[in-house]
Amino acid sequence: MDFLRPTTWADALAAKAERPEATPIQGGTDVMVEINLDKGRPAALLDLNPVAELRDWSSEDGWLRIGAGVSYTRLIDELGDRLPGLAQASRTVGSPQIRNRGTVAGNLGAASPAGDSHPPLLASDALVEAESVRGSRLIPIGEFYLGVKRNALEPDELIRAVRVPYADGPQYFSKIGTRNAMVIAVCSFAVALHPSRRGVGTGIGSAAPTPRRAPEAEEFLAGELDWDGRTAVPDETARRFGELVARAASPIDDVRGTRDYRVHALAVMARRTLGWAWTEYRGI
Amino acid sequence: MRYVGQPIDRLDGVAKTTGAARFSAEYPYPNLAYAALVHATIARGRITRIDTGTARKTPGVLAVITHGNAPEMKPAPKPNQFDMSTLAAATSVNYLNTDEVYWNGQPVAVVVAETLDVAREAAYLIEVEYAEYPAAVDFAAEEGNARPQKSTMLSEADGRKGDAEAALADAPFALDLRYTTAQVNHNAIEPHSTTAYWDGDHLILHEGSQNVAWVRDHLAIRFDLPKQNVRVISPFVGGAFGGKSFVWPGTVLTALAAKVTGRPVRMMLTREGVFRTVGGRTPSIQRVAIGAQLDGSMTALIHTSVCQVGRTGGWSEQVTSVSRHLYDAANIQVQQNLVGMDLLANTIMRAPGESIGSFALEATVDELAYELGLDPIELRARNEPARNPLDGKAFSHRLLMECFEEGAKEFGWAGRPQEPGSMRDGRWLIGMGVAAAYHPAWRFPANLTVRLSDDGTVLIRCGLHEMGMGSATAVSQIAADALCVPMAAVTVAYGDTALPDTTTAGASSQTASVTASLLAACAKLDRAVFTLARKTPGSPLRGLRRADVTARDGGLYNGSRGESYHDILRRAGRASVEARVGADTRLGEIADQVRSMSKFLLDRRRWVKAACGAQFCEVLVDSDTGETRISRWLGVFDVGRVVNAKTAASQLRGGIVMGIGLALTEETLVDPRNGRIVNASLSEYHVPVHADIPVIDVRYLDDPDPTMPLGVVGIGEVGVTGVAGAVANAVFHATGKRIRDLPITLDKLL
Amino acid sequence: MRVNVIVNGEAMTADDVWEGESLLYALRERLGLPGAKNACEQGECGSCTVYLDGIPVCACLVAIGQAEGRSVVTVEGLADGESLDEVQRAFVECGAVQCGFCTPGLIVQAHSLIASTSGVPEDAEIREALAGNLCRCTGYEKILDAVRLAAARKAAL
Repeated sequence: MDFLRPTTWADALAAKAERPEATPIQGGTDVMVEINLDKGRPAALLDLNPVAELRDWSSEDGWLRIGAGVSYTRLIDELGDRLPGLAQASRTVGSPQIRNRGTVAGNLGAASPAGDSHPPLLASDALVEAESVRGSRLIPIGEFYLGVKRNALEPDELIRAVRVPYADGPQYFSKIGTRNAMVIAVCSFAVALHPSRRGVGTGIGSAAPTPRRAPEAEEFLAGELDWDGRTAVPDETARRFGELVARAASPIDDVRGTRDYRVHALAVMARRTLGWAWTEYRGI
Repeated sequence: MRYVGQPIDRLDGVAKTTGAARFSAEYPYPNLAYAALVHATIARGRITRIDTGTARKTPGVLAVITHGNAPEMKPAPKPNQFDMSTLAAATSVNYLNTDEVYWNGQPVAVVVAETLDVAREAAYLIEVEYAEYPAAVDFAAEEGNARPQKSTMLSEADGRKGDAEAALADAPFALDLRYTTAQVNHNAIEPHSTTAYWDGDHLILHEGSQNVAWVRDHLAIRFDLPKQNVRVISPFVGGAFGGKSFVWPGTVLTALAAKVTGRPVRMMLTREGVFRTVGGRTPSIQRVAIGAQLDGSMTALIHTSVCQVGRTGGWSEQVTSVSRHLYDAANIQVQQNLVGMDLLANTIMRAPGESIGSFALEATVDELAYELGLDPIELRARNEPARNPLDGKAFSHRLLMECFEEGAKEFGWAGRPQEPGSMRDGRWLIGMGVAAAYHPAWRFPANLTVRLSDDGTVLIRCGLHEMGMGSATAVSQIAADALCVPMAAVTVAYGDTALPDTTTAGASSQTASVTASLLAACAKLDRAVFTLARKTPGSPLRGLRRADVTARDGGLYNGSRGESYHDILRRAGRASVEARVGADTRLGEIADQVRSMSKFLLDRRRWVKAACGAQFCEVLVDSDTGETRISRWLGVFDVGRVVNAKTAASQLRGGIVMGIGLALTEETLVDPRNGRIVNASLSEYHVPVHADIPVIDVRYLDDPDPTMPLGVVGIGEVGVTGVAGAVANAVFHATGKRIRDLPITLDKLL
Repeated sequence: MRVNVIVNGEAMTADDVWEGESLLYALRERLGLPGAKNACEQGECGSCTVYLDGIPVCACLVAIGQAEGRSVVTVEGLADGESLDEVQRAFVECGAVQCGFCTPGLIVQAHSLIASTSGVPEDAEIREALAGNLCRCTGYEKILDAVRLAAARKAAL
């Protein structure tokens, strides 16, 4: 096995072009588990830790560009106010030790349906900045997840950054598990309100082969909310929103939960996060 | 007593907080090689082909051992109750000496390599083909094949008083309920690890063990060695809970790998490897039926169980034992049944039987109380027996109702509304539950020596085991008090077969067992030293009777007349004086065993001895999602005398947390198609974490049991009993739902 | 490859190392520092917690190749000679140690929590900070006591 250790982003891209089978490793919180648990050795590891460009975030035109090396801990501490949904989800990732090493980009690279950052990224219309020696492109988050642990990256591409618009309204994330911490989601849900365009974003985790949105629920809710008058959401609307979210999922029975439970819980989380978000929007 | 009962810091605390403590995988050896296992992927069958070619050619690989090339080992001996060490074999399989597969996960090859990652990589490259046989791996489907369990000297599998079925049918009020509990695994934080090397025909083994003598005896048999040629060293054990009581495949195969390669070999099981090769607690199906008068007095109590054993071995849990002791029912019937399965042998795990048996019994008692409109504690008080309900034997000591009384007062039990679902805080439903804790007290023979040296220090040599309980600290406290020397003068050597054999560290028996021998040895030593002093010319104690002399301040004195142990030994020209309990000859050993066994049986005929307690729990249940969180806990225990207040409380708390896991989150899932454990990791098997556990208030009555050495009853297991019952009862109080299937996961509450 | 790591302030090297092997394995098997423990190899138990460039991480999830040239502090590096760190002292005094296998990881993680908090952390903060350090023996309670005691003593210094 080869261990590639580029020190610049250009070198990293060149290495990936030359060795497209190399597995990128950043925080190691997924890749090392695979290696440790005898799933066979990768042909090559491409260590991105030394690439300084990836460690920073920047903001421009109302968007945050989060380098692929920014840990969950830093994201929570430094960007929590601007990306509340993603920060809430990040706080539920593993333990502090994991959050010190793990990254949103790594979560995207692994593309596990249970990854915690996916629902808020979906709800806030994030873009994945993928790059190769051939050039750079922005992949809309909704087109990024292709299947269980499969994503839209080409073999020679690396994730340079994740671009997320500043929250323009309330954002909430909810996750259900058997414990208070160290939880792999039984299922999870994120909602983002976009009052500027009177839109609603959603993201569902752990309830389908890929993380996904609930477009019908978004459209329904955007049309029902009293954006100007800010009156309370009728119970019937919240209930219907929950139903539509649950209907968007296609969960299965597995070791963490049953299909039926997930359908039920998604509806609950959708109603609940909507309640929190609308309360915040109304300023009460 | 100056030390016993005090909250004294554990003696190994500094070693463990600085990283200096050496666990079994941490002994450095030059030329050390590493071993990794290949596990069978079918439940039952025969290996038809095993391709090790690529593995053997991997650079760094020293040996690939399979049934095709493994040296012959003797089979495990047939279990025989008169030679306890024959019970040490966890399974009857002669690993790598057979092409047969008996469980999904059985080791079918061992790779030895220069580094661990090479050993694992090569193990991954081995291809095995099988001819599969039909296999029984689905416990629920096998219930109908269960057969009555045989009673043994240590564990009675059935019992009967009157005609419980008839009384149940006639009872003015009756409940007849079915419970199920999932398989769970110990998951001690230290995975099983062994470091082994051969020095000629001597085998030296570093192994985390709850019974080093068993490991030694078992390996001596397997490798056809005199047992004095095997030494097992185990001063630090990273948690065990029953999982390190028997000898599992990894231990035997590390010794084999060291023999084949002629190198010291270390095997560190992965967490998955532990799940696949070290058994867990059996799943169970239980029936509890209670008939009662309308005032709550029980006329009938029936408790039956079905558990599994592997076809190659397994421990039969005493699931119904709590129903022999807890309630004064006029008619009682208990019956344990077993079904053989093509799965890894199950094994003992903290309070085997009582932990899950008390769940079913205590949930039924709670249900009866609600049905009759009685407070659950009041119902228990009305059925509290004066003598052991099943056979009328005397209790040596029992303060169960006192535990409930103190607990109820402290927990605010009386103030709660009895109506289920009547307490709420926002989306959280709140409930309170209570249950009895109960675990029998045991005591086994233990050998040791106590040596007093002329510098005034005391050395206790005793092959006891320290898996975290603080045993060595407790022994030091007791010896320091018995000999009236400062604790700092006492050293305990333990965890090594080079020392006198002690008992197993199981059944919460070790402290009581060692204490009995220790007190006897200290008394012998005291007599020997006094005799020496009395006879030594010039001694100030010359001519005195023992009754005139008291031991104090590290010496023997009559008023101001007397002298220190140091001076006594120096004056007599002796470097040390030693007292021994337990024979060091084979004949003497047999005599000791006969003596202790008859004492044991006599004692059992006369008394019922146990630790008991009352568990109080408050839960929050999310009304929409079923998420359940423990918000308060109080356990009040009658555990006889407490030797060390600091270590004891943590033992009880740790038991309660393990019980909370059993109640809410822990479940080993077995694929019903092929017997494979599907969640063999700490990410998919959920033990409680810090954030799940509230403040756990633990109290004990500290009242010595008059029939036990120093009044010690045993403290390691009672904490886990009653916990799942208390949780289930609290969940009912919160939600109005009776969940009779552990663990109580979210989906069951919707 | 040859790996160079600064461990507990001392420059250490190991030769013929496969870069994908974990920092944990290298510490324990190559560098003679078995303080950090191996119990799950997937970041679920926290027993292998060490500082990497001042940040607590699970050593089992750091490839040794990634640690090249970096600084690692393990439980063996916290005491000042014979004098225990306050966290170590408090763990002993409070009875927060039982079998001792989770202890080294807990001590490093608690050490980091206290270093990054002014005064004594709230209970919820401690539980959350230590959520990734499993303990199967103690019932957790005494570990919280130890963290509070160590924090109070450090704050008083």
